[in-house]
Amino acid sequence: MKRRHNPILTFLFAGLILLFTGGPVVLSLIGSVVPDRILLNSDAGLFDEGINFETYRYVFTGELPAAYLTEGANRAMISDAARQVPRSLWNSTVVAFAAMVLNLLLGAPAAFLFARYAFPGKKISFLFLILSPLVPTVALVTPIYMSLQAVGLVGTQLGIILVHTAKALPFTVLILSVFFRKMPAELFEAAMLDHCSRFQAFTRIAVPLALPSIGATGLFAFMLSYSEYMFSMVLSGDAETRPVSVVMAALARNTDVSWSLLNTGIFIAIVPTLLLVALIWRFAVEDLLGGSVKG
Amino acid sequence: MWSINRFPIAWLLPALLPVAFITIYPIAHALWTSLHQVMILFPVEPFVGLDNYKRVVTSDYFLDALRNSLLFTAIAAPSVVILGVAIALFLQRRFFGSQVIRSIVLLPWVLPGAISAVLWVWVFHPSFGVLNGLLLNLGLIDESIPWLTSPKLALYAVVVAHVWTQIPFAVVLVMAALASINSEVLEAGEIDCRSPYKRFRHIVFPEIKAMVVVLLVYNALTAFTSYDLVYAMTGGGPGTATTLLSFQIWRESFSMYDFGAGSAVAFIVVLISAVLIIAITRALPSDLFAKEEAS
Amino acid sequence: MNITRRLFAGMAVAGAAMIAGPAWAEDLTLEFVVWNYSLDTIQDNVRQFEAANPGIKVKVTDYTWPDYQDSLILRFRGNTQTDVIYGGQDWLPAWAAAGFVAPLEDIAPKGAVDDLKKDIAGFALSDMTYKGKLYGLPYYADTISFVYNKKILGDAGIAVPQTWEEVTAAAEKLKAGGMARPIVYEYNQELPNFFDAFVAQSYGRGAELFDAEQKAVFNDPQNGAFQQLEWLADAFKKELVQPETHESKIIPAMNTGKHAFTIVYNYVLAALNNKGDQPRAGEFALAPMPGQAHATLGFSKFYAVTAKTAADPKRAEAAWKFINFMAGKPYTVAKRWAGEKGLGFGQLPLFDDPAVIEPWAKWIDVPTLSKQVATAKAGTWTEWSAVWSAYFRPLLAKAMVGEASVADTMKDGAERWNTLREQFVKQ
Repeated sequence: MKRRHNPILTFLFAGLILLFTGGPVVLSLIGSVVPDRILLNSDAGLFDEGINFETYRYVFTGELPAAYLTEGANRAMISDAARQVPRSLWNSTVVAFAAMVLNLLLGAPAAFLFARYAFPGKKISFLFLILSPLVPTVALVTPIYMSLQAVGLVGTQLGIILVHTAKALPFTVLILSVFFRKMPAELFEAAMLDHCSRFQAFTRIAVPLALPSIGATGLFAFMLSYSEYMFSMVLSGDAETRPVSVVMAALARNTDVSWSLLNTGIFIAIVPTLLLVALIWRFAVEDLLGGSVKG
Repeated sequence: MWSINRFPIAWLLPALLPVAFITIYPIAHALWTSLHQVMILFPVEPFVGLDNYKRVVTSDYFLDALRNSLLFTAIAAPSVVILGVAIALFLQRRFFGSQVIRSIVLLPWVLPGAISAVLWVWVFHPSFGVLNGLLLNLGLIDESIPWLTSPKLALYAVVVAHVWTQIPFAVVLVMAALASINSEVLEAGEIDCRSPYKRFRHIVFPEIKAMVVVLLVYNALTAFTSYDLVYAMTGGGPGTATTLLSFQIWRESFSMYDFGAGSAVAFIVVLISAVLIIAITRALPSDLFAKEEAS
Repeated sequence: MNITRRLFAGMAVAGAAMIAGPAWAEDLTLEFVVWNYSLDTIQDNVRQFEAANPGIKVKVTDYTWPDYQDSLILRFRGNTQTDVIYGGQDWLPAWAAAGFVAPLEDIAPKGAVDDLKKDIAGFALSDMTYKGKLYGLPYYADTISFVYNKKILGDAGIAVPQTWEEVTAAAEKLKAGGMARPIVYEYNQELPNFFDAFVAQSYGRGAELFDAEQKAVFNDPQNGAFQQLEWLADAFKKELVQPETHESKIIPAMNTGKHAFTIVYNYVLAALNNKGDQPRAGEFALAPMPGQAHATLGFSKFYAVTAKTAADPKRAEAAWKFINFMAGKPYTVAKRWAGEKGLGFGQLPLFDDPAVIEPWAKWIDVPTLSKQVATAKAGTWTEWSAVWSAYFRPLLAKAMVGEASVADTMKDGAERWNTLREQFVKQ
């Protein structure tokens, strides 16, 4: 961009965005390193006792914070549920990644056809896809649960992957077809002259050109799966395969979790996920965004 | 646009099948349920016609819940899109730290609803909330503002939290759409239009309009049908100030053991969502659906 | 790259996973479904049971408390193997009537149940009994208590309130002294806790919500429940109350020292007074529930067996062993819950057990508690209670904040109760 921007305004906006999107997360960081007895006590300064990583140590090693070993303390406010967080992050990543890959593999070819071809049954199948998310999934929990129970997928990651993939697919197809339609027709006409097959047109022209959009769409499918709660809850089995959304809901709603332990769980859940998303953003979207703007 | 003579099964079936799996039978099941008396307390399930629908529409929660849901959607969906577009436009600027902000913007996305709820409860809480603490310290208020506990404010507080969770997706998609604008168009715009507003209005916006419509539809649907964040923050209260219609599907089915009424609420939600979508696509015509019909 | 082939490959993998299915080992595996309060303690108890009972394995599946009931209904409807569950007093009649759960007499050796019954507190026994049969043994049994901050009342020179009117007066005095909202009140349309707490307060006034024929009588303006709702609406109107959606937030809220009163389960008091992490631990105490009667609601959460399991002799036998281990003599597990986590107990001999009373004395005044437990009454739980309570809670919520009148709310609630009652009796 050649335009000059007012640097003060730029930083003001940047600061506001940072505060709005990042602020609550900084809260969880503070909450996780300051014990409740300081945090809730308005007379004490926030860092009077310094910062303390005992709740982190508890999550990773199971060693109780020192305060729980003092006279008169009971164990009412510390729960093993917090120790499930690291494992659940991995579980969710696996599920979300599988849902993302499946979405792109299954959705991109369909989106390409919807965007660039006319064929019998097009309208009805497109309408079916984009109208299917209209029915709130809450109403479908019982029949979907029973269908999956019938094929033995309740309590398995495969069941969750299947549902998450299917939930995201209509949006994947819709968004990708918007992008595929935006591509200049001449490119494909040239390909036709070169006797490219439909499949080659798709893999050699459409996909490479649409990579940033595919990245963004994949990110969407990933996040949809990563943060989905209802199906993750009813379909997940034991703690070993449980996704992070379910573990966090348990932490957030249980009485036996202190505020600082809860925030420790939250912060541990945020960091790797943020890194992962930042990486996807940086390599799958950002570079390609830059590339296509210049090109 | 090219033509294919028969329905391209190999291209479309992979996308259609999973979606069909979680929609066709489940929706048929839900529709059947909505026309029968399906209550756990009473084992026979007689056909009752539209009785469930009648009972839902005349129930005393219906008007409150409908009003809240519509208000929630009417504020949340446009806010997400407007803020999303604004942030995406802003993030096209290059400045010191712009990379960091681009990643931070994604933060709310990575958080499951339960976590977002905890963080925003902490921001708004009347006793230990950060927002009140800040305003009190700055001397802007003398007494805590009951963000979540006053019937007048609670809905707006939960809208803020909901918007926060939805912005990243909007930003990513708008940025991807902005990136796919042909650079020649932009350069021509630089010369023709001096005012940034006009440039946006006449050159940028038409290019991203299809995406904006998709986003608006998606966000209207999400706002109208999701409730977990809201219920985690307020439990539908105070009073019935944040009681949402989509939540009644769950409540009728699983709290009141009346699956017939629950499914009836679901189809009422479908009907209203359809009206919303038609209204949005009418108000903001884009080539997205029109071309579909022409082809 | 052929998409169809990929799809088929995927389906083949899915198919293989299905066929492999659950491996049939020689051990019998009980499916134990719980809400995940202190999951690690549950699992440790299970491990001890497994060690003591070779040949029986127990698989624990847990859901969060707000999702528990719904998830269990889904399991029942979806026919998911479920053997032993946590049950609740408000759900029992409906579940028993629908044939989800079976009486313990069906699976226990002769006389075993009667022997255990003798030790169980009256309200807990009532909670676990349906049509004269016992459906559970207590996981824990607790009462709902009126909790106050000793230090705040002491500093302000306020005596512990004996009636709800005195609570209002004390709160007004505190408010005048600068405390914005002296009362924290758990209030969430979607949790049964909210209705239970309301019943407990009404019991404090000596109210009976239903008559001997289980017809609703709380719509009478003289009824204690009616008066209690008026009291609540008045306290909300005077801005004395801060609603709180969940007990997990009451703990930090009370510990900010910005509130003096709340109404919670006793185990929340244990958390409030926990020196391990709470800044104001030790400042909180329970007082007899305000009102002339000082009675409160007692309730029991319990281990129950599903009807499907009770019908299968092998599983039934294992299920009884498990339930008896968790809740039967010598009450090891119940003592553990009481000592470590402050959960109440339904087995009365534990009141004389130093292993329970010593840790309890650190966070609760045991003599006051045992008096309160002695006056605790069970709720009225019928097949339609849970359904009705879900219907009534939003109405109650509206009346509290002044969006609906107390009289209309009580009338509507009573009518709905009586309609459901007739519908069910006819059935």
